[in-house]
Amino acid sequence: MADLLLSSTEKIFIVHGVQDDYRSDGRSNIDYRPMELETEVVSHASGSARLRLANTDVLVGVKTEIDTPKPDQPGLGKIEFFVDCSANATPEFEGRGGEQLANSISNMMQRAYQSSQAFELKQLCILEGKQCWKLYIDILILESGGNLYDAVSLAVKAALFNTRIPFVKAVLMDGGNVDLQLSDDPYDCKHLDVGCAPLLITLCKIGDKCVVDPSAEEESCSVISVVVGVTGNTKSYCSGKEIDSVKSLERKCSTIGMNGSGSLAPQTLQSAIMQGMVAAESLDEALGQALLRERQENVILKKHAYGFLK
Amino acid sequence: MPLDYKRFNGPEDSISYKRFTEDYIKSYDQLYQELIDENGVRKDGRAVDEARKMFAINDVVTQAKGSAYIELKQTKVVCSVFDPREIPHQNEFSQLGQIYCEVKFAPFSCPRKRRPHAPEAEERALSVALRKALEPTVCRHLFPNFQIDVFVYILEHDGACLAVAINAAGLALASAAVPIYDIITACTIAVIDGKMIMDPTEAEEHLAIMSPETQTNHGLITMSTLSQLRQITDFRQIGSLDVDCVTKAMDLLQKQCMKIVPNIQRVLVSNVIKYHKERKKLEEEAREREEALNKKMEEWKLLLNAG
Amino acid sequence: MTTNSAEGIGKICIPGMRLSPYNKDHVAGPGTYELRGYIYSSLAGILKMEVDEISKVTIVSVESQKTPSVLPRTGDIVTAKVTVVNPRMVQCVILCVGPSILARPYRGILKKEDIKANEKDSVNPYKCFRPGDIILARVLPMTEIHWYHLSTAENELGVAIATAEGSPQGVSMVPISWSEMQCPKTLVKEPRKVAKLIPENLDQELLPLENKQSNKK
Repeated sequence: MADLLLSSTEKIFIVHGVQDDYRSDGRSNIDYRPMELETEVVSHASGSARLRLANTDVLVGVKTEIDTPKPDQPGLGKIEFFVDCSANATPEFEGRGGEQLANSISNMMQRAYQSSQAFELKQLCILEGKQCWKLYIDILILESGGNLYDAVSLAVKAALFNTRIPFVKAVLMDGGNVDLQLSDDPYDCKHLDVGCAPLLITLCKIGDKCVVDPSAEEESCSVISVVVGVTGNTKSYCSGKEIDSVKSLERKCSTIGMNGSGSLAPQTLQSAIMQGMVAAESLDEALGQALLRERQENVILKKHAYGFLK
Repeated sequence: MPLDYKRFNGPEDSISYKRFTEDYIKSYDQLYQELIDENGVRKDGRAVDEARKMFAINDVVTQAKGSAYIELKQTKVVCSVFDPREIPHQNEFSQLGQIYCEVKFAPFSCPRKRRPHAPEAEERALSVALRKALEPTVCRHLFPNFQIDVFVYILEHDGACLAVAINAAGLALASAAVPIYDIITACTIAVIDGKMIMDPTEAEEHLAIMSPETQTNHGLITMSTLSQLRQITDFRQIGSLDVDCVTKAMDLLQKQCMKIVPNIQRVLVSNVIKYHKERKKLEEEAREREEALNKKMEEWKLLLNAG
Repeated sequence: MTTNSAEGIGKICIPGMRLSPYNKDHVAGPGTYELRGYIYSSLAGILKMEVDEISKVTIVSVESQKTPSVLPRTGDIVTAKVTVVNPRMVQCVILCVGPSILARPYRGILKKEDIKANEKDSVNPYKCFRPGDIILARVLPMTEIHWYHLSTAENELGVAIATAEGSPQGVSMVPISWSEMQCPKTLVKEPRKVAKLIPENLDQELLPLENKQSNKK
């Protein structure tokens, strides 16, 4: 992570603030910073989203391709995550500098989306054993102001929500070849079911307490943070009449990991996971509302287009 | 996947012959019944909460400062640790030393596929996980600007390879006399269909990651702890588990980690005794030799004086 | 926990073992660390409790049979071998830290101004060291990444073993003054920054300095 220069007195100030549940930017320990979310920002991608969380800026594009499924999972599609830490964020990311961070983020995302209870890969199947969709999720980190994991997972979920996959009819021909038929209408496509896609929540241990959404300054005061991936609730992502047909699902951990060079007491880890679940619930609901509103606006009134890097 | 062109590789679209055998694609239920019978007894005769027996020795690699070999039935891991050395391409001053970890699978180690020669994503992820687990363990302030190398080679993989790698690395660090805060132990638990399965084999791990049709809990957790200091150095979960399940698994893992500690301690203590005996023997021999020499000198002195 | 005194070894320690409380009578020595009021072992080895003669403090330390993987620290006395001498500085490789031999050599650097305590400006490194000399030096605070800065600006520090030019191998010179050494075979005299070596098992009677201090008390 980009190293900040903080003096020990500045660090003590931050630690004491966290202890009293009053952080240097006025938030309490369980508050997020204001976010800005925009979908459909990249015209060449099947789905895209841009999220700005205070000084953290993430752009996600989803590209789709047709691929053959893995032999031991004939009915499932594929999903892959790539993270690129742009040198615009900090000169340290130049060359291979951001590689380690990028790898750890994409690993974490891959693990969080692994279970079918987090993301149903069956919906990407075209013809069992022969053809499936492969989603390439490219994550670009344009600015890093702390809490990258949360921002990336939010942006990915928004981009997947925005992704449209064309309807394809596949017919098995003689000799085992597959014939694909695509509709002429470019708007003839389906949305993915991403309601239960997980969100990552970082809980940064500062002093004796854990805080959500740490800023870059707060991250440099901490030696250990817990990242909890929590599955979403499909209900928050449905509108109108669909909402009654979907049953509410229990939120589960789809991945847990630790970052940083420190260690934790078992009780702290437990309370951090609990805290993460609570934070994920409100965050997921808020994201669902924002995405539904955005989708409606896109349909009803033509969205006013402006550059996404405001 | 990058291929190693110095070796003979199969055609690009070649598939293992096992793909055409009958038991290649088995349904979830079939696999489940095969691994755990109705009485909760596993394929290898263990109870659900029973770990495999561990075999551990140290100082198996003579070239390394410290090394260890740990075996959990079919999971076999060698680890070697080398003394601090300069960090290559480093240009920033760091107060804390670094730990460089490299985990490698032997090409023939896995039952499902041949491991490629070049490092791949899983190995890299394991290396990162191992480093994360070891960083809070080693007294890193004692070697600023230098790195300690930890190399792990997985000879055979039959589940829980990260946990075994961490155990082996902990033992190797202790036997290399690298200052560490505490003995680190780790273990893995698999959750299949809501059942907690301690120390899973590869087949069980595979089933735990596979998604069932129903909404039951499934997943894998690996945890490493410092037993005396009661700290968790690494915790990684994958799959889909509710919070109660995670909490329950954490308790079980903590207990299992405590059970491993005496094994590691025994190896270290017997090692200290062995070294002590060797040294005593050497000292004894040296004393005998000196006595013999002294006696000879006395004799010669007498002869000289007489002559 | 695990202790084994039956075989006359003493107390065997393993990392993480709690050894004693940390207070004004007990100090953490090598192979141990202090945490929340207790001293713990950080190595596998044998426990040693030594009482310091002067301050009457028990130093708790753990002695490992293998050389511990530690690096020279600021203030340590190291044994080093000179490799390069030039007008500004002397380069060397560090071989030992205190009594323990290092498994890997580490690079050390001795700047011209750190060679002697006085007349710092007029020091000529060529008249103090030659490549191949074994020197004793003290480690200065680390300022560069992979180089240890050393100092010999004390009477007890400087050249310990040196061979004169043209002398046969293994014949080391004998100090004849604080700035000169002589070869016993060829009688060649060479300039060096000679260390005033103190024998390890020094008789207390022969140490007037220490005695004076204790008399004062």
